[in-house]
Amino acid sequence: MKNFNLHGVMQAPVTPLKDDFSFDVSGFEKMVDFHVRHGAPAIAWPHHKAESLNLTIAERKLGAEIAVKTVAGRVPVSIFAGTLSEEDSLDIARHAQKIGADMLLTISPYCRRPSQEEIFDSIVRIGTHTDLPVLTYNSPWRNGEGVEFTAELTKRLIDRLPNYIGMKDASFHSEKFLEISRVALKMRPGFSIIQGVEHLLAAYPLGACGSFSSSGAIAPNLCNKFYASLVARDWETARECQFKISRLWRLFKEQYPSSLKGAMIMMGRSVGPTRSPLPTATKERIEFLRKQLEELNILQTEPHGW
Amino acid sequence: MPTFSPGLVHTPVTPFKKDHSIDYDTYAKVLEFHIRNGAEALALPMPEGEDMSLTDPELRSLLKFAMEQVKGRVPVIAHVSDAGTSIAIERALYAQSLGVAAIVSHPPYFWHPKPSMVVEHLVRIGNAVKLPFFIFNPPVESVGTTLSTEIVLELIEKLPNLVGVVDAGLDFVFMEEIMCNGRPLRPDLQLIAGADFMVSAGALGGSGVFSPLSSVAPKLVRELFELCRKGQFVEARSAQENIGALNHAIKAAGASGLRDGLAGLKTVLASMGRDCGVPRPPVRSAGEIERGDLLEAIAAMPFLKDEPRGW
Repeated sequence: MKNFNLHGVMQAPVTPLKDDFSFDVSGFEKMVDFHVRHGAPAIAWPHHKAESLNLTIAERKLGAEIAVKTVAGRVPVSIFAGTLSEEDSLDIARHAQKIGADMLLTISPYCRRPSQEEIFDSIVRIGTHTDLPVLTYNSPWRNGEGVEFTAELTKRLIDRLPNYIGMKDASFHSEKFLEISRVALKMRPGFSIIQGVEHLLAAYPLGACGSFSSSGAIAPNLCNKFYASLVARDWETARECQFKISRLWRLFKEQYPSSLKGAMIMMGRSVGPTRSPLPTATKERIEFLRKQLEELNILQTEPHGW
Repeated sequence: MPTFSPGLVHTPVTPFKKDHSIDYDTYAKVLEFHIRNGAEALALPMPEGEDMSLTDPELRSLLKFAMEQVKGRVPVIAHVSDAGTSIAIERALYAQSLGVAAIVSHPPYFWHPKPSMVVEHLVRIGNAVKLPFFIFNPPVESVGTTLSTEIVLELIEKLPNLVGVVDAGLDFVFMEEIMCNGRPLRPDLQLIAGADFMVSAGALGGSGVFSPLSSVAPKLVRELFELCRKGQFVEARSAQENIGALNHAIKAAGASGLRDGLAGLKTVLASMGRDCGVPRPPVRSAGEIERGDLLEAIAAMPFLKDEPRGW
């Protein structure tokens, strides 16, 4: 198994759409290239930020091909295989391997409140279906919905799947994170625990290797500075970056990624509207964001345009 | 404006006799144990002191007993939480009259209250006293409700004596948000780890801890606390993982849907020569098989060898 040494704030591009809501191929090429040129240590697509469940399977395959081709080996590319139907996930997994993606991020199908046994079976089916390294997406929701990879389940999956190399962890919880990290990192040194978005400061000292990114769409410099401060153990700077990112997340988390796309357009990257049922950011919303981003010193310090 | 940074706070258990009455002779030993083993302050009775299982007269008498036993050697923080606002206010005033250093309150038990009810409840308790006031954010599985960032910000506006949040919710996003949005409103607002997960809270700028595991492993807790106090969060990982293993073993025992750890905690304490009886009903004590599993897990933790046995 190839060792990718995943680390840093890894970028998860949005999916640019044309005004008629169709997939904007050249926009997506520019988006992926933008992230790589601005220091992304890996590219991961299509996460929720990319409206993944609002893309057809054909569009997801098309985007995966564009991502791999545009990145062209400069950094690793992870393709997300989570869908509503396991057959679709298997299909995406086969396709990702065929087109030369570097790894697969997966979760058992959404909206089912699966038991731990069902999650185990689902991940084993996908993980044994591909030769690619596999990451799983731990997404426990507060109300008990969602798909939770407990430490015990993680342990069983590491035992079962030699290609299970890491986890996208969106538990954002001291105890849950520590349970997974202390068990998984002992069993499989190098197991990559990647925070779902940049809630990274609380997890980094305990063994998280990095995060995927929400704010990188508008603040890649901030993301890179944040990770560098963690490596340097400069906690003061790390806190300053984390708190700024946290304020950004508060601006963007509602109806994600509508507002984020609005802010990107305002910064000169025309990523287009957001597909229904999510709304597209209004002019008023974008003007509000402009003021907030100016106050946070983002507009003055981050790249505009492509 | 009152201020108070409590540092390493131990949270004693409440020992019971076989007839389920409070065992005050043993409680005196418990308090002495904590003072001798590094407590910079005591908070009682926290959830691991089974506050919900004590009657109002018992809560008062326990607090009075503790104040007389401690005799000012370390500050005592009174935990005053209840389902009823007036009941809690009266007890907070009583605690104040005993000379406690601060009050800590949980959102109201039982009602699954709306945010405005939580604010009303806590504002009225906080306003009733002239002491530093901490609010406690319970685990998400817990009774009542957890605090939101919005509730905390509103409480800061309304309570001049609110000095900090004791967080057992352990949610990274909540901790980040109260620090980055709360500090501009109250520059010395404290984030205190409400369980023994000090690294995550400390990295985010938290200070201090209310430590449930201090009754089992005060040396390990002190080691982790010192590393975090010095900002050595990466170096603290191994101690934090040991704490994690101990916490996991204790919480896995018992029948509690809340994973309250009460049965496990008292089982381990007894095995270390500090018998505090079993939890009060309706909390079930550990069964024989659970007890065996737990003690086996504990025996496999070499880092516990240095911890004190007996009183």
